[in-house]
Amino acid sequence: MPSFQLHSPSDLAELTRLLLETEGTVLAGGTDLLPRVRRGRLCPAHLVDAGRLRELRFVRREGPEVVLGALSTHADLSSSPLVRELAPALSEACASVGCPQTRNRGTLGGNIANASPAADGLPPLLVLEATAELRGPGGARAVTLPELLLGPGRTSLRPAEIIERVRFPAPPAPSGQAFQKLGRRNGMAIAVASVAALLVLDERGRIRTARLALGSLAPTARRSPAAEEALRGAEPGEAAFRRAAAAAQADAEPIDDLRASAAHRRRVLEVLVRRALERSLDRAARGRRP
Amino acid sequence: MTVSFAVNGREVQIACDPGRTLLEVLREELSLTGAKDGCGGEGECGACTVLLDGEPVNACLVLVGQVEGRRVETIEGLAPPGGELHPIQRAFVEAGAVQCGYCTPGAVLAARALLSREPDPSEEQIREALAGNLCRCTGYAKMVDAVRRAARELGREA
Repeated sequence: MPSFQLHSPSDLAELTRLLLETEGTVLAGGTDLLPRVRRGRLCPAHLVDAGRLRELRFVRREGPEVVLGALSTHADLSSSPLVRELAPALSEACASVGCPQTRNRGTLGGNIANASPAADGLPPLLVLEATAELRGPGGARAVTLPELLLGPGRTSLRPAEIIERVRFPAPPAPSGQAFQKLGRRNGMAIAVASVAALLVLDERGRIRTARLALGSLAPTARRSPAAEEALRGAEPGEAAFRRAAAAAQADAEPIDDLRASAAHRRRVLEVLVRRALERSLDRAARGRRP
Repeated sequence: MTVSFAVNGREVQIACDPGRTLLEVLREELSLTGAKDGCGGEGECGACTVLLDGEPVNACLVLVGQVEGRRVETIEGLAPPGGELHPIQRAFVEAGAVQCGYCTPGAVLAARALLSREPDPSEEQIREALAGNLCRCTGYAKMVDAVRRAARELGREA
């Protein structure tokens, strides 16, 4: 491993100060950062470990909202009864990350801050309309995920600023949500394409609100306004879901890379959108919250 | 700089750069060579799996400074030297779930974490628990058998 100096602050103020003073890189679970350092793609002189800030590892309900500490691991989130109940799409996405070893170390904050177009956590957070609460030398601020995610590996985080928490409103009833991912295999797979969906029904069973987000299909994870528009007010079912799947193509900008071709991604996009919507409808119809 | 943590129930204090990986320190400073580097330190293969506070992690992706005050268990902690094998180890031997052995310590520890949480796992749970432990020679059918066998054995002991 190339040499760097590791700092281990014990509170947020010290973390911020160290990041500022050393111009260092924040280390959370290390599952993405350390392989990049080892390959020489990143050569930080200083790594500042956030791992001792236990207060950033929690899952809780605050009135109408769900709040997740940025150091919550994928294992924490996939096993949390609260996340399973109110954000099953996120729970499923976290359960699909890598393998147990990765899920025990990798964190929600790291998943967001890496800004990988293929990050499993991002499509669910986009359909949940999550806000990231940031903290840096200039104080605290909150941004939406689309404001945070600028491009592959690029965010609007300022120097020495970190993600502290993620917050989203608990979806209203009756609603349903789901996450679908295709990888090259089931375990240890980075998404070839992924889709998260959230449907809220009205009292007649029509779609009041539809939210759909795409992963690994554009420079960042992103919502699909075209698919959402195609679903609004519609009778939920195969016909509407096929229209939405076709419409989602307009918001996808897939590329050829080592995992799949752009053409293949466009084909699987349709299947994943349909499956995510069917599953969301199934869950909404069962009257379960959400 | 000194890092203090527990390894296999024993407190250790090691004077070293806290930015070294836990895997390097286990192997080179503590002579615990059961955890292995199979993929060049990228967290892809699971051969370096150890239990950190009871949960499986890849020791190549943990810096030793990150385990200060925490509890690490390696394959060497499973059975006393010269003593009897742990029931999970015995099950791997009896089921023929070991060929070259390179991935075995990691797979056994992944199985241990599963069985301590879920004493009677389904095949799907077993496969999921072993998903981060790549084996290129034995294959997984025998490992799944071994974990089932170990679950039965541990259930009898309990």
